Amino acid sequence: MNPLELTLGVMTAVGGFVDISELVFASKAGSTFGYALIWAFAFSTVGIIVFSEMAGRVAAIAKQPVFNLIRHRVGLKLGLVTLMASLLSTLITCAAEVGGMGLILHYLTGAPYLLMATLSTLAVGGSMWVLPFKWIERIYGLLGLLMLVFAASLIAIHPPWDRVAGGFVPQVPHGLSTKELLNFAYFGVAILSAVMFPYEAYFYSSGGIEEEWGPKDLLTNRVTSIVGMALGSLLAIAILANSAQLFGPANVGPELPGSTAMQAAIPLGGTGLLLALLGMLFAVAGAAVETCMANAYSIAQFFGWEWGRHKKPWDAPRFTLAWIILLLLSLALVLTGIDALTLVEYAVLFSILVLPLTYLPLMLLAGDRKYMGDYANGLLAKSLGWLYFGIVTAAAVAAIPLYVITSGGQG
Amino acid sequence: MWRWRLAIVLLITGCSKGPEADLPSISGARSLAAEWAMVNEQAASGHLTAIYVSTMRTSARQHLQTTLSALTQPKSPYGNEIRALVAEPADALPQKLRAHADRLKQIEDSLESA
Amino acid sequence: MKPTAPIKLVSELLDLPIRDRDGRECGIVDDIEFEGGPGKTTAIKALLVGPGAYERRMPGWLFACVRMVAGDRITRVPLQEIETIRSIVTLKCTATEVGLHRVENRVRRWIPRKGAL
Repeated sequence: MNPLELTLGVMTAVGGFVDISELVFASKAGSTFGYALIWAFAFSTVGIIVFSEMAGRVAAIAKQPVFNLIRHRVGLKLGLVTLMASLLSTLITCAAEVGGMGLILHYLTGAPYLLMATLSTLAVGGSMWVLPFKWIERIYGLLGLLMLVFAASLIAIHPPWDRVAGGFVPQVPHGLSTKELLNFAYFGVAILSAVMFPYEAYFYSSGGIEEEWGPKDLLTNRVTSIVGMALGSLLAIAILANSAQLFGPANVGPELPGSTAMQAAIPLGGTGLLLALLGMLFAVAGAAVETCMANAYSIAQFFGWEWGRHKKPWDAPRFTLAWIILLLLSLALVLTGIDALTLVEYAVLFSILVLPLTYLPLMLLAGDRKYMGDYANGLLAKSLGWLYFGIVTAAAVAAIPLYVITSGGQG
Repeated sequence: MWRWRLAIVLLITGCSKGPEADLPSISGARSLAAEWAMVNEQAASGHLTAIYVSTMRTSARQHLQTTLSALTQPKSPYGNEIRALVAEPADALPQKLRAHADRLKQIEDSLESA
Repeated sequence: MKPTAPIKLVSELLDLPIRDRDGRECGIVDDIEFEGGPGKTTAIKALLVGPGAYERRMPGWLFACVRMVAGDRITRVPLQEIETIRSIVTLKCTATEVGLHRVENRVRRWIPRKGAL
C-alpha cells in the first residue's frame, strides 16, 4: 500500500469534513449543546465512510464514476433532476467555500473581504489549471493538516474527558424545551448534511478513476475511507469540544467564522492563532477545489465528455470550461454580497435534499454482481448502506420544516 | 392537510413582529458582544495579531449595526442595549462588553420562557 | 457482450457511456435507432448521441429548454462501429471518424495550450 495514496483520503476528509460548513456547525453545536452532539459527527462519519468506500470500490471495479451510474441506473429524466439539484447544492457550497477563503484571508491580512475572495479564487483556479490531480490533492491535503492545531488546543485546555467520551453515546440532553429540542434536531440534520455532502462521493469516486484504481487498490480504498474520514471527523469533534469548553460558558455563539480560530489562540497564543487561520484557509480552499471539480465531474460524466485533471486542460476542453465557469459563478455569488454564513446554511439545506438521490444509485450499483462480481456489497455494507439511506431520506424530509421553525438553528 | 399546516407556520414566522421575531437577532447580538469581549481579552494577553484584532472588532460592530437595523422593535430594551453596545469603543473593557452580553442573555431567556 | 447478442435495451444499453478505440470519452447512448417493423425482426441499427436524441425521452417543454441551451444535434454511430457493450460501449473506430468529437474540438480552440504541468 502506497502511503501517498492515503493523501486522497486525507484531502477528501480534511477538505470535505472541515470545510466552512463544518467549522460553523461544529462551533455552534458545541457552544449551544456542549458535548451532546459529538455522537452526531461520529454517526454521520460512519455514513460517509460507508458510501465513500462504495464509491471507491465502484471506481476500482466497475471503472465508472458516480454520475455515469446515476444516469444509467435512474434514466435521463430523473438523472437530470439529480444533476440539476446536485449542481445547485454544490455550487452554493462552493460559493460558501469561496466566501470562507475571503473571510479567512481578511482576518489574516486585513485586506477587504471581497478583494480577498476574488484573489483567492483566482489562485485556486490557477492551481487547478497548472497542477495535475495528484499535486492538487497533495498540496491542499497536507497543508490542511495544519488543522491539527485544534486537536492540540483541545489537549491543552484539559476538557472533562469523561464528558467528551460521553458525547459519543447517542443522546438527547435532558430538560430541553420544545424549541430547544427542535433546535437540537436541526443541528443533528445539519451535521449529517455537512458531513455527508454529496460532492464528497462524486469527488472521491472520480479521484479513484483519475488515479486509475483497480482491484489491487481496494485495500487502499478501504483504509483511506476509514482513516481519512475518521481523521476529518476527529478534527471536527475537536472544534466542537473546544467550543463546548471555551465558547459555551462565555455566551459565544459564535456569529463570526473568525472566532473559531480563537480556540487555538486561547491555549497556544499567537502561533496557535496563525496555525488555525492557515489550517482553516487550506481546508476551505481544498473544499473549494473539491466542490468545483465535483460539479465539473458531474456535468462531464453525465453527458459523456472527456474529463479529468490527469489530462491537460486542452485535452478535456469542455470539462475545463465547466470548472472555470463554475468557479467564476461561485465567486459571482459571493460578490453579490450574500453573507458567507447564509451561503453555508443554504448549502447544508440543499445538500440534504439531494443526498437520497445521490446514494440510492450508488447503493444499487455497489450491490450489483453484474458489474461488481465478487466485490459486490457484503452483508455489512448492505445493512449499513440501507440504514443510512433510510436516515438521510428521513433527514431530507425533516430538513426544511426544521429550518423554518428554528430560524436556521437560531432557536 | 400537511401542506396547509406548513403554509401556516411559514405565514406566522414570516409575518410575526415584536420580541418573538427579534429573538434570533437578540441571540446573535449577545454572541457578538461575547465574541468582541473575548477578542479584547485575548488581545490584552498578547495572544492575537493586531490585524486579527482589528478585523474582528470591525466585523463585530458591522454585524451589530446590521442586527440593529433588522429589529422589528428598535426602541425596545434590547434595541437600546444593542445600540449602547455599538457605541462602545473598539478597545472597550472585556468586562463591559460581557455585561452587555449578560443583559442580552437575560432578555433572551425571559422572552423564551414567556 | 457482443452487439449482436440479445440484450435488454432499456436497462442495459440506454445511458451507457461510449469510448472510442483510443479510450477517449465520446458521449452517452442517448437513444437507439432500430430497423425492422411490424412482423419483421427488430434489430439495432445505430446508437444516437447528442441532445437532439432526448426528444423522445422527455416532455416537450423540457426538450425545448434543452434545445435552447445545447442545440438539437444528433450523431449516429452505426452498429458496425461498436466493438463491445459492457458497462461501457467501446467503439472500433475513433470518435472523430463517426463525428462524435465535433463540439469538444470546437471548444478546444478556446483553451490556451500553456501553463499546465
